[in-house]
Order: sequence, then C-alpha cells, then structure tokens
Amino acid sequence: MTKLLSCEQAVEQFFAYLDRALAGDPLDDLEAHLENCLACCDKLAFSRRLDSFVKRRLPQAPVPDGLEARIRRTLGRTSTE
Amino acid sequence: MTIPEASSQPARATKPEELRQTFEALALPHLAHLYRLAARLAGNGQDAEDLVHEAYVKGLSAFPGLREQASIRGWLSRILARLAIDRHRQQPPEIAVGDLQELDRFSLYDLIWDEDPFPYSDTLHQDFLDQFPDDEVRAALLRLPDAYRVPLVLLYVEDLSYRELAETLSCPVGTVMSRLHRARKILERELWECARRRGLVRSDD
Repeated sequence: MTKLLSCEQAVEQFFAYLDRALAGDPLDDLEAHLENCLACCDKLAFSRRLDSFVKRRLPQAPVPDGLEARIRRTLGRTSTE
Repeated sequence: MTIPEASSQPARATKPEELRQTFEALALPHLAHLYRLAARLAGNGQDAEDLVHEAYVKGLSAFPGLREQASIRGWLSRILARLAIDRHRQQPPEIAVGDLQELDRFSLYDLIWDEDPFPYSDTLHQDFLDQFPDDEVRAALLRLPDAYRVPLVLLYVEDLSYRELAETLSCPVGTVMSRLHRARKILERELWECARRRGLVRSDD
C-alpha cells in the first residue's frame, strides 16, 4: 500500500532518488506521487539537469609535470628506509 | 596492464623493494585519475599535488592489507578522499552554511520560476543555467565546505553508493544523505547569488 506524499515530502526524497539510494516503500511512494504530479516531475527534471550541469564542469586537470617523479622518489626512499 | 593472477590475495611480497615495485606497477597507472579527483576535491595546484603524493605514500604502507588488487583505483581514491577530509578538518567552512532548515528548503527552481528572468522563454530554467561560465560553476563548487564538497565530488566522479560513501567518510548513511542534499542546496544558493551579483535577477531580498 503506497503512502500519499505531499509535494514537500516528495521533494525531500529527490536527491536520494537521483542517487539510486531509494528502494522499497519510499521508492514506490515517490514514484506514485510523480505519476500524479507534473510540478514535481518538472522540479525533479531540473535537479537532474543541475547535477549533470555541475558534473560536466568539474575541472579536467592534467597531471603536473614532475609529480610522478616526485612520488617515485618518495616511494623509493620509503621502501629502502 | 595485466592484473596479477593472485588478485584476490593480499600483496605478500617479502621484501619492501618488491612490494614497492608491485605497488608502483599497479598504482601509478591511476595517477591521472587520482590527480583529477584531487583537483576536484581541493582545487588545482599545490594542494592537489600534495594530496596525491600523500595518498600514494599512505597507499604503499597500507598495500599489504589490500585484498583485491584489481580494486586498487577505488581503494586509492578513498584513501585520498579521507586525506582531503582530514587535512581540512581544522579549517573553518569557506561559506557560512547558515540556518540549515532554511537551506534545506531553498529551491533554485522555485526562485527562477518566481523571478522569471527570461519572460519570453519556454526553457526558463535551462536559460538560467546557460548564463554561467564554466569557471564560475567550478568556483562555486570549490567554495563548498569540504564536509559537503567531498561526498558530492565522490558521488559524481566515483559513482559511490551511499553505503560506500559512509564507509569512506566514516559517518552514518543518514549523514551522507543529508550532506549530499545540503551540498546541492548550497550550490543552488551560490548560483542564485552569482546571478544576483551579475544583475541577472533582482539584488534585493
């Protein structure tokens, strides 16, 4: 038996839903709400879009010159100590 | 690279030198991944370099206990994440988290809707996001306090489950859940503040 969620209760579950961390009754309850609430569907779509918007803008950052050599030197020293 | 046959066995090289060679052969191919993760956790530059360096040193000393050598990338990533958290534990948050209840209810979606900065647009929310240069989004992410940024970046980059995040960060799953919620809410608030500073939306409350 699914529980009727208010929009506020549904929104609280959005991130867990997007992160695939909802299961069982809470998942069923949210999906039942989404089936009947266009406003929440739209809001959820925005949260999903915002996640991928930020994800795509994470820095790429190539490895700086010399870092591997620095690590090798330290590891070499550590293992001969 | 070939993963050694005995990948389900702990590394048991008897001599430190052999252990180091095995560790380097397995771990150094993941340097680019680890540096990228470090830059995302700590920003580019010396902080990220030091984090990666420290993660490798710590990795070598913990290597004999690693049971699944095939999972070394995730294992090193988690060592690095823990170092990032510990390193910044003493520092105050870069932005005030403010009233948490108010933060939890913050909704960029609703504010954009109410403010309607692009009155004739059918794609209002997308248009709002399109206003931000990449650098500004990255800066907003880096302004998040570590306690919020680290789980969010790990979720985005490493695709860890809430349980794995909880293990990595040594906190309960409920804490992971609320930090990920708040991390996104702080980011939403930051983007709204950026939009206000740029005059895209009204600057009064």
